[in-house]
Amino acid sequence: MNNKYQVYAGGIVGILLFTLALSALPESLNFFREEKSAMFAFTLTVIMIMLYEVRLAKSSSEDIFLRTIPGLKAVEEAVGRSTEMGRPILYVPGIMDMNEVETVAGVVVLGHVANMTAQYETELDVPVARAIVMQSARQVAKEAYMTQGRPEMYNEDMVHYVTDDQFAYAAAVNGIMQRDEPAACLYMGKFFAESLLFAETGNSIGAIQIAGTGSQTQIPFFVTACDYTLMGEEFFAASAYLSKEPELIAGITAQDIIKVLLIGFIMLAIVSRAFFDLGLTDFNLITWLNL
Amino acid sequence: MLLKRYIPVAIVAFFGALTLSAWFIDNETIETFANDDATQFFDIIAAFAVFLGALNLLKLQFIKVLKQQSEWQYSAIAIASFFFAFIIGFFIRGAYFVGEDVYFSQQAAEEAVVAMNSSETVRPVDWGAHVQTDGSLFQWMFKYIFSPLSATMFALLAFFVASASFRAFRARNLEASLLLVAGIIIMLGRVPVGSLISSWLIMYIVAFSVGFGINAYTRNRNMALGWVLGSFGLITGLGFTMGWPIDQPAIFYLPALQEWIYLVPNLAGSRAILIGIGLGIVATSLRYIFGLEKSYLGE
Amino acid sequence: MKFLEDIILKLGAVDRRFIFILIGLAVLIPLLTPISLPVRETPTTVKFYEGIESIPKNSKVLVSFDYGPSTRPEIHPMNVGVLRHMLRNGNTIYISCLWPDGIYMALDALEEITDEVNPDNKSTFNIKEYEDYILLGYRPGAEAVIKGLASDLRKVYTVDANGRFIDDIEMMDDIKNLNDFAYIYSGSAGYPGTFEWVKYGGDPTGVPMSSGTTSVQVNEVIPYVQTGQLIGLLAGMPGAAEYEKLIAVPGIAIQGMAAQSFAHIVIVIFIVFGNLAFFIKQRRDRKY
Repeated sequence: MNNKYQVYAGGIVGILLFTLALSALPESLNFFREEKSAMFAFTLTVIMIMLYEVRLAKSSSEDIFLRTIPGLKAVEEAVGRSTEMGRPILYVPGIMDMNEVETVAGVVVLGHVANMTAQYETELDVPVARAIVMQSARQVAKEAYMTQGRPEMYNEDMVHYVTDDQFAYAAAVNGIMQRDEPAACLYMGKFFAESLLFAETGNSIGAIQIAGTGSQTQIPFFVTACDYTLMGEEFFAASAYLSKEPELIAGITAQDIIKVLLIGFIMLAIVSRAFFDLGLTDFNLITWLNL
Repeated sequence: MLLKRYIPVAIVAFFGALTLSAWFIDNETIETFANDDATQFFDIIAAFAVFLGALNLLKLQFIKVLKQQSEWQYSAIAIASFFFAFIIGFFIRGAYFVGEDVYFSQQAAEEAVVAMNSSETVRPVDWGAHVQTDGSLFQWMFKYIFSPLSATMFALLAFFVASASFRAFRARNLEASLLLVAGIIIMLGRVPVGSLISSWLIMYIVAFSVGFGINAYTRNRNMALGWVLGSFGLITGLGFTMGWPIDQPAIFYLPALQEWIYLVPNLAGSRAILIGIGLGIVATSLRYIFGLEKSYLGE
Repeated sequence: MKFLEDIILKLGAVDRRFIFILIGLAVLIPLLTPISLPVRETPTTVKFYEGIESIPKNSKVLVSFDYGPSTRPEIHPMNVGVLRHMLRNGNTIYISCLWPDGIYMALDALEEITDEVNPDNKSTFNIKEYEDYILLGYRPGAEAVIKGLASDLRKVYTVDANGRFIDDIEMMDDIKNLNDFAYIYSGSAGYPGTFEWVKYGGDPTGVPMSSGTTSVQVNEVIPYVQTGQLIGLLAGMPGAAEYEKLIAVPGIAIQGMAAQSFAHIVIVIFIVFGNLAFFIKQRRDRKY
């Protein structure tokens, strides 16, 4: 472990030197934006930590600890409940397109859920709001059913396009909930105002509801109305958590290390700013780094 | 394997790395690609992909109608609406100008010219502009069908917020109680009625609640009563001294309190969540770029 | 006491449809019988107002309509107020839309103020297209549109909303990109909207900007106000009402405040009764 942090320390020094070297290039060779040096160094640090953690995870035989995320633990419970009740599972991968990271994360979690529904022979319904998401979700669901050895259970219409419009989509999904009465409703992706419409309607039909989103404004609505909510980072960790693959969990570890570094930097910046505001020094770390 | 796994991953890695590096590289070509072209590539693909979605939608609705499945009548309405919007968007201009007057069809416009003995010519609205021109059928559809339906769905939120708040805002523990109190302060402080509630009333309520808490904790009614009477007396005395200003002390004035909650604890919490989400997005994006995560391909 | 507790317990377990009816009445009655409530300006709205007042007279400003019919009650009064305020100060307005519905909202807003009588009660605004304002229209692409505007407006707009070539319009002669505007305002209900304008419009170019958002979005956007990237903020319908008061033209936002106030009071009353029922039930369960 000490070795790991020594590597990181050495790596950060190397990155800083590399960034300085890039900034010092002569004008004719200079393709680097000097004003973004701090962000460049930070980005390289993040990449370094992530790749090294993945390398360590691949070579290590020990399990990496990942705390229990109740919402993700409940996914299997929700699938089981639907199977027992003989009712379908409704999966909503957000209302945005595949250019949003949250939507991609939602489609990834759909793959895991589809694995479970294939295993338990539960009906899965995935209404989508974007055509590209439809194609991607179909591919993911099909692979999941093939992996579980149930290709005959897969029907491409289980992932179906509804409409691009936000509230028309909300109306359609609410209609599906009220008619089909799914036993479990999973909302994983990017949402806006329609989040509470989904959650309250799901609540009214007595479904177990698990939501996951990085949309900060919608998290409170999901927390209020759903049984389990994956907030922000927990949602992005879902794929790692469900797959239990060491390389993916290592990504979460890397995130935690970066967060600690960031907290340290924020404390340093606060102290620097305090000294600057009190007139004790002319140096302001944030201005100097052009942040 | 090559087509299904390696090439897609290579494409993601290449374009991801290129877009990321464009932020740091001072090169016009790469900048233009990252800022304009990449987004436009996606928009064009998404625009054409709509056909796939629309065909899927029509297929499912047609099957329902043809097989007369449960509630097939709604599917018939969906199909009719689809074609109605499609036709009036692509094939019907719906707005022909004679001077300032607008007519739905060319024939009606020409008849109007004849009737008015006007020297004006009939001017059809341009394709593209026809969707928003006053008097066109598309604009009529937007104004009288689409807008009210959208507004209705959004308006449902008012009712759902009420029922969700009623169900969820229970003082089960300390955190839930804090949420409850903050929620009430924000709800009342944000609207004009909150500015009509005197800070002195809030002080009395707080004093009474503290007395209630003392009684619940110590089970000593005399102590609680003593606290309530004492604090009420103190507040009353202070009020008479200060002349009962509605917004002083500011710490008990709901609009000032809600402003503070918004700008201090709420902002701090929002920033923390934003940073966490941002880090999550960075880490997730890097996993996709480096090919560590291939689940979106179906792996 | 037991009788009272039983009533409270019944209220705590009330059918949600009863709540819906009461909310409906709480909103409907004040709208049908207008009740005037005093509106108190918040610092963020005052800052917003002062930001617009500080724009040099007769400047060119960009106003973006980034909302649709669903969020019209919150954002539309803000945008109409902003148009009034800016036109009153002699500014010329360039209207863009990042949402396809935004163009309809813009047309409605312009129609609303064109026939309006000025505060001096003598004249109407009588604004003229291509003299006082230009409707550039909707372009798809979200942040790509803003990035395009920041570098070269003609990359994004070759014609305006009426199909007229940009280069043939005199108002567009001095406009190359966002840097040629004195101020940017976005009335935004989500994506694309305020964030994208700050990230790709206001921040990179340094052009002063502000925004009006829905109440739900305020949480996300307030850090930008604190850092000065947005000069003030209009926060939802209350923000719109405060702004209407500041520009001295009461409109639908001020009218809606009574309805919003009563709806909030009803919700708070239900929450209080719900909690009372919760405590009573807890106490009774403990006894048994």
